[in-house]
Amino acid sequence: MRALVVYCHPKEGSFNSAVRDTVMGRLEHARVETRLRDLYAEGFQPVLTRDEWVGYEDTETNRKPVADYCDDILWCDTLIFVYPTWWYGLPAMLKGWLDRVLLPDVAFHMPKAEGEIIKPGLHHIERLGVFTTCGASRWLTMFIGAPGKRTLMRGVGLLLKPRAKKAFAAHFLMDTAPRASLEKHLKKVAAKTDTLIGMTASRRAPLEGAPAE
Amino acid sequence: MRALVIYAHPVPDSLNAAAHQIVVDTLRERGWEVDDCDLYAEGFSPVLTEEERRNYHNTEINTAPVQGYVDRLRAADAVVFCHPVWNFGYPAILKGWHDRVMLPGVSFELRDGKLWPCMKNVKRIATVTTYGATRKLAFLAGDPPRKLFKRGLRLTFGAHKVRYIAQYDMNNITPAGCQAFLARVRKEMEAF
Repeated sequence: MRALVVYCHPKEGSFNSAVRDTVMGRLEHARVETRLRDLYAEGFQPVLTRDEWVGYEDTETNRKPVADYCDDILWCDTLIFVYPTWWYGLPAMLKGWLDRVLLPDVAFHMPKAEGEIIKPGLHHIERLGVFTTCGASRWLTMFIGAPGKRTLMRGVGLLLKPRAKKAFAAHFLMDTAPRASLEKHLKKVAAKTDTLIGMTASRRAPLEGAPAE
Repeated sequence: MRALVIYAHPVPDSLNAAAHQIVVDTLRERGWEVDDCDLYAEGFSPVLTEEERRNYHNTEINTAPVQGYVDRLRAADAVVFCHPVWNFGYPAILKGWHDRVMLPGVSFELRDGKLWPCMKNVKRIATVTTYGATRKLAFLAGDPPRKLFKRGLRLTFGAHKVRYIAQYDMNNITPAGCQAFLARVRKEMEAF
């Protein structure tokens, strides 16, 4: 199993960095091969440029400006996002990763004939995890329709292997969250990560010490 | 009446650019004073920095890094967004405008830990947008940009006029389809 974790938060020491550490801890515990992309730390440039837009459908050259990031996508079979929800959606930094890296012939295939629609291209990815934090309440987020969650769980989800396994956890009302609630959330993140990678309670013990998949 | 047009497309000869031009021209013809904000041309940086995150809730200083953009928003009676939809969301540069400019004390405030809208000047909002996906596929994905605009921003601004003008399935559009879309944009802006 090969997991790509895309992490996006500007401030080290934030609750999101604790979520990231929890996820990475569970993956390493299960001896999953991992790659961690910390978009802020790497200074990722999220703006899709004019040249990239013009060359968007030229599948020979379109991935050149972001070749490393495309390689991650082609390498992994498990994709996990850890980020704060801002304005009900992804931080611009993370949205830019989608815009620039999920390219034609990397993540999907453009229509070849008239009347065709875009076809998914990430059938090698079997698991999707989305872990986020929201300033808004659960009710307000649901009323708005949770656009950020849908961009990833459905928008990106549509590109993955059909019936790919999915995990989602969000902590709401972050501005007034009590410590106990945050700690409880980290446990939930750990449990959801375990389930996502098939480390169910019954299998957890035998998996320890077993060779990596 | 003053309209702020937020435009986010990198290519001047795109359908989006044509629609943007029609928005600006039609509003001016109808007597609006238009502030045309081209995020790509202005080199807007969409990345909310660590320092901005640290000062996010400090309403005395949080607007400083984007003061010009905040002033332009505060001077507007209407806001029109012109942008493509990429991966079922806003282009990063437009999402970053929301992240960095729509700040506590500008468009919302926290009351007892709950979000509360606090921007009173913008009463009309519109989006003019283009999707690669079909309407059906976008619906299946939950159409996040439509929801963010029609629910999130409607609530935030307390707008009484909310128009969402979208062209889906751009990969299969005909020249006549483009013309029909542009005509629809013009008609909507005339009635805005």
